[in-house]
Amino acid sequence: MSTNPGPNPPDAVDRFAAAQGQERREAVRLGSKAGHEKRTEILFRDYADPDGLRRLAGAIKQHALDHLDVYLPRAEAQLRAHGAQVHFAADAAEARDQVLAILRARGALSVVKAKSMVTEEIELGPFLAHHQIESIETDLGEFIVQIDDDHPSHIVKPIIHKNRREIANSLERHGLGPYDDTPEVITRRARAFLRNKYLGADAGITGANFVSAESGRLVLVTNEGNSRFCLAATGCHIALCGIEKIVPRDRDLGVLLNMLARSATGQQLSVYTEFLRGPRAPQQADGPEEMHVIFLDNGRTRVLGSEYREILRCIRCGACLNVCPVYRQASGHAYRGVYSGPVGAVLSPLLAGSEFATLSDLPKASSLCGACNEVCPVDIPIPDLLLRLRDRAQRTQQESDGAGGGDRTGGTTVPPGSMTAFAEVATRPWAWKGALATGGLVNHLPQSLRPKALRVWGQNHVQAPWRGGVFRKWLAQRRRS
Amino acid sequence: MIGGGDDAARARFFARVSEAVAARATKRPAPEYRDAVAFARDVATNGTAEAVALAVPADALATEKRLARFRERLESAHGRLFTDAGALTAWLAAQGARHGYCDPALASMFAAALALPGAPSLTFETELERARIDDYRFGVTRAAGAIAETGTIILDDAHTSRRLAALAPWIHVAVFAPEQIHAHVADAIAALGDDPNVIWCTGPSKTADVEGILIEGVHGPGAQIALIAAA
Amino acid sequence: MSARGAVTKSAPRRRVSLMATCLADAFFDDVAQATVEILEHLGCEVSFPEDQTCCAQPAFNAGEWDSARRVARHTLGVFRGDDAVVVPSGSCARMVDHGALLLFENEPDQPAVEALAHRTWELCDFIVRGLGVTSWPGRVKARVAFHRSCHSRGTRYTESALTLLRSIDGVEVVPFGEGEQCCGFGGTFSVGFPHISRAMGSLKIDHVLAAKPDLLVSADASCLMHIGGLADLLARNPQRVPNLPRGAPAGDPPPPDAIQLPLARKHIAVVLRDALKSSGAIA
Repeated sequence: MSTNPGPNPPDAVDRFAAAQGQERREAVRLGSKAGHEKRTEILFRDYADPDGLRRLAGAIKQHALDHLDVYLPRAEAQLRAHGAQVHFAADAAEARDQVLAILRARGALSVVKAKSMVTEEIELGPFLAHHQIESIETDLGEFIVQIDDDHPSHIVKPIIHKNRREIANSLERHGLGPYDDTPEVITRRARAFLRNKYLGADAGITGANFVSAESGRLVLVTNEGNSRFCLAATGCHIALCGIEKIVPRDRDLGVLLNMLARSATGQQLSVYTEFLRGPRAPQQADGPEEMHVIFLDNGRTRVLGSEYREILRCIRCGACLNVCPVYRQASGHAYRGVYSGPVGAVLSPLLAGSEFATLSDLPKASSLCGACNEVCPVDIPIPDLLLRLRDRAQRTQQESDGAGGGDRTGGTTVPPGSMTAFAEVATRPWAWKGALATGGLVNHLPQSLRPKALRVWGQNHVQAPWRGGVFRKWLAQRRRS
Repeated sequence: MIGGGDDAARARFFARVSEAVAARATKRPAPEYRDAVAFARDVATNGTAEAVALAVPADALATEKRLARFRERLESAHGRLFTDAGALTAWLAAQGARHGYCDPALASMFAAALALPGAPSLTFETELERARIDDYRFGVTRAAGAIAETGTIILDDAHTSRRLAALAPWIHVAVFAPEQIHAHVADAIAALGDDPNVIWCTGPSKTADVEGILIEGVHGPGAQIALIAAA
Repeated sequence: MSARGAVTKSAPRRRVSLMATCLADAFFDDVAQATVEILEHLGCEVSFPEDQTCCAQPAFNAGEWDSARRVARHTLGVFRGDDAVVVPSGSCARMVDHGALLLFENEPDQPAVEALAHRTWELCDFIVRGLGVTSWPGRVKARVAFHRSCHSRGTRYTESALTLLRSIDGVEVVPFGEGEQCCGFGGTFSVGFPHISRAMGSLKIDHVLAAKPDLLVSADASCLMHIGGLADLLARNPQRVPNLPRGAPAGDPPPPDAIQLPLARKHIAVVLRDALKSSGAIA
């Protein structure tokens, strides 16, 4: 999804949440809650120390990231040795061009796609359509999103925000049969429709959940059988893979796979875990004779070299979304990007590069509760990263204001720079005591003259009475007697 | 450019990676841990938090225990297990699955089961025709192994006569010997071998995309069967 | 919060400095008062450095780190020395022992910040793990819903608080749903993202009320200020709490037909002090 290049109000996420209908909000909230509960149940059923495992998985990924200069070439060598062709794309445009070149060389007119966040990140679908190549989403949720011209609202459950009636309407509009909102019927119709597409497609495009540097194996984690079909029905496989997906050894895959499905959907393993090492075996009649892996940078090396590098550990399980109270109220679309929820609030502004300021409100849309870190299977310190991003956002804003970037403070409840005034008072004890003595006077001001923050507070709370100085007086008296 | 790419672009790409990695003052070393991750709360543990999480269970699960554990886990993932080909054919008939595909290497075993007195009249082909893919209500293929811990069936290109046969029909029957069952995920990882396409299948295909309601049989099979046969 | 390796605490002495918190200074004098009474009862000599203002968390959370460092440095100076610093707030304690370390990562006075972190204690944690007191005298007959603030994540504050609460004769700690969910305060979050903050607070109130407690207790006055203030507003304007549709699935609290408010709430320091009074240990 393209980021809106214009400035957004600092409370954009709150406004989006407020404008959401009750039904949609409940669908997202209850769907997320169920996902969270399933995760908790299975992790504590299966392991004596799930937190120890999260830290271990986090250490594995951090180690891989810290030594990516060793592991990336190793992965490449393994893939080539097993017959895959390896490409490197510096950015979205290069990745798209590489995909197009591969497809053109095969005369491909139609491709089937398994779910891949990276392909959404580079906006591959519209690009291929523009070049007259039909690209069909095969993951059920993504398929519905595609025919609806909508956007996914969750990393793992793309249509968590839709109900069956909306989906049935979409299928009817697209000629997949008369209105029927029975989930089973919806699924069977998609199965039949997409089956023909698989069998008629010239190539299959997937992402990759992990890549082992030791063996070069790509790992795909799915439930529906769609990626298997992409790889059983077509003669060419293109896998797009962010460079942060690399893990050092096959045995590390064991730890990460044990954590991924449990964290994402409360399963021990997803229904299908595919380990792909190269094109099909010579005696196998079905499957790709050609396999391409495109490693994508698109801003990842910049993040890797920064103080936000831990976010690259993310294995896209969605557990942080499921537990996040802000995500539950706002839903994924509020985050205006491919990645939503806590991980999106960190990753999206970072991947936006020079457009950072257009998404810099996202890290502020958080009460810093820390539930995200608590459930993260790779122990990413998300709240710390959000805080760092707030610091960066503030410095970025100062620079742009200084350079005549204009006033972005219009309408904000807590305008940037408010804390300067706070610091003036909080570093001067006499000023502080004065404020304690006189602060209550604000309550006597008419509403329109009160600071905006106080007015907003008053909309949702009965204000606690001002008791500035009372404790100090009590203590002084106690000390005297 | 396909097939390896532009050398200069590749060099620039790697230069960016090296630069980014060099910016890190302290680099995390590779963590040490034991392979098999504890899967049951009743495993006795002590020691550091990591050791606690990763203790190897005292018994590495003998074959019968593995089969029993595999069955339990497969069934909780809504798969089914048969140890008798005759019972399998009766079940297929009961599902209305009268025609399917069978790996030629398994054909005589399957035909023998269908020749038993009282066996249902099912038919099968040993070659798969894509154009008639929906004619096959079941697909019988060989599996490379299984995982007891998770009820997983392991497929690969070497053992699967046709990828589509294990995927497209509503019912997939995976045939393997009990000795091929690994105890844990970690063991199965160690045994990945050289095959270009190893697939772990844990139950029938499914989705919960529509309102979180579980529906089985999406693009892959709606019924995942394991047939345990002597090696 | 992220586990950054436990900050090990040096052994506390009986002289302690009280960090009252800016909220107690402005609104919740009884929390600071109760803290002094409790600590003195436990044999501590409590000093209150008068020049104290704020731990700098508001500015830190706002991303205005230059301002935050100014305020934090002031606090560093005010609390210089060797005394244990005790603060009746998990969120302020975490600011001092975790947030400040991030804030001063690249600063020359980082060692002083770390030294302060090592001797700063949240109140209940100080009582239980610092002073070794695990049982509390007196009697308080109440069903207590304990709200653990988000800043207690990764710490043992909640464990300490519950140890003390459960030891009070007459107290029954009752669980309530979705305890891990934030109440929606988050400092400036509550005014910067008011709709979401209110929805979070309403959900929290519904879950708490469904447990039918006599009292809501927390070790953080900030959470109580938000939950309590919203509950009081809802009590004045009884209306459908906009979070729970009729027929919410099992596991969600039943929609209250009338909001059972006012919601009585107390900071744990006040509960502990009141228990002491009931036992006659203090006047």
